Amino acid sequence: MTNSLRFASFAVIAALVLAGCASTVSLEMPTIPEPRLEKIPVDVAVRIPDNFHNYVHTEDVLGRDKQTIQLGASNANFFSQLFDHMFESTVILSADDDPRELQFDALIEPSIEGFEFSTPGQTQSDAYSVWIRYRINVFDSAGNRASSWTVSAYGKSQKEGITGSDSLRRAAVLAMRDAAALIIMQMDKVSKIRQLADGPLDPASLEPEARVAGAAPEADQEDTEPASVIGVFAIGGIDDVAE
Amino acid sequence: MMLRSSFLVVVAVLVLGGCVTSHVEDARETVTGLNAGESIVIMAKSYHQGNETESDYITCVENALRSGSKGINVVPHQQFVDELFPWFEPRTVPADTKGLPILMKRPGVKQAVNDLGVRYIVWLDGDTERVAEGGSLSCAAGPGGGGCFGFAWWQNDADYEATVWDLDDYESAGSITADVSGTSFLPALVVPIPLIARTQTKACKGLASQLRSFIVQ
Repeated sequence: MTNSLRFASFAVIAALVLAGCASTVSLEMPTIPEPRLEKIPVDVAVRIPDNFHNYVHTEDVLGRDKQTIQLGASNANFFSQLFDHMFESTVILSADDDPRELQFDALIEPSIEGFEFSTPGQTQSDAYSVWIRYRINVFDSAGNRASSWTVSAYGKSQKEGITGSDSLRRAAVLAMRDAAALIIMQMDKVSKIRQLADGPLDPASLEPEARVAGAAPEADQEDTEPASVIGVFAIGGIDDVAE
Repeated sequence: MMLRSSFLVVVAVLVLGGCVTSHVEDARETVTGLNAGESIVIMAKSYHQGNETESDYITCVENALRSGSKGINVVPHQQFVDELFPWFEPRTVPADTKGLPILMKRPGVKQAVNDLGVRYIVWLDGDTERVAEGGSLSCAAGPGGGGCFGFAWWQNDADYEATVWDLDDYESAGSITADVSGTSFLPALVVPIPLIARTQTKACKGLASQLRSFIVQ
């Protein structure tokens, strides 16, 4: 009986210690400053995926059990602000909206392909780092995929305070700002979205996999990348995978 | 006898304790000056280029430049970065002054710089690192009390470089370097007595003082 009691006590203490190791960091809604640029004269619709409204990433951190970062709706807010700053007019589509009922020159569909972070304990440094890989699909008004490219963003912030939560938050915000900077600098160049203001693409000039019936692509697009897939990488700027 | 040797150790530590050596110098390339209404901004070089300048060091330099009767106008670096978004993000900052004319031609950039009154951008590079440590210190506590005994020391090196860009002429005005080395001691005879060398603070004050002289002349 005494042994059982002792074992139970140890189990409770161990559970408490392990629970204390797990931590969660929530990201408050970041805002993007109004960029210094000329708006692209294109009317766009932006389809925000469902997981952009409540994105949660959990990572196993050695010696700290699990660490979770809750991005909440920050991605939805981030892309809404960004495209509103970048284009002449922007309509944000909800999951229920049918784009065929709306008038626009281009439909932009961002998604998250990967999210990672590292802590000072993992890297033997004084900094938190965050990597986010977004995919940006652009469709013309007829639903043909005009381009598909990845944006790999990076943010780093030195550890401050005991828990480092603020530093991780800052690294995540810096990664999102990095993505915004990349998209602003390269979107027109790599997606040629400006041309879509003149009307939809000529179907004859498209790769077969880029022709999509309807402007509401639901299929798994990662497996069928068109010839215009372009990668934008974190270090070293633009890397054209294929023209 | 024991008491005397302990006393001598303490005195020796106090004499040597928290000693800091610093070396600050500048290399001027052009004539500088700051007119009324003009200001400067302190920025860290990009971490994409491997730089790890601490944000509290930047804040320290900003505050040191602003303070005193000879204080100069310093625009907070985050305000500058936000006002000129996205052209001063870690990935997009111009690597050298050759990129400035193109940058200033971008929509709204020149106007934003003029509105803020920024004449000089000061780029900070470098960090403070612990380069050596030694000694041993042990503490014990019991029902009757506790205490520590031993001696520990560590050495920090703060190496920073500030490069000044003149936004009027789109050229580098020169640079200032601060190399500061400080050794801290922690002797303990029951009670630990920390003798901390404030290496980074010394590097901040030294660099800020030299920077003010460099810009204002």
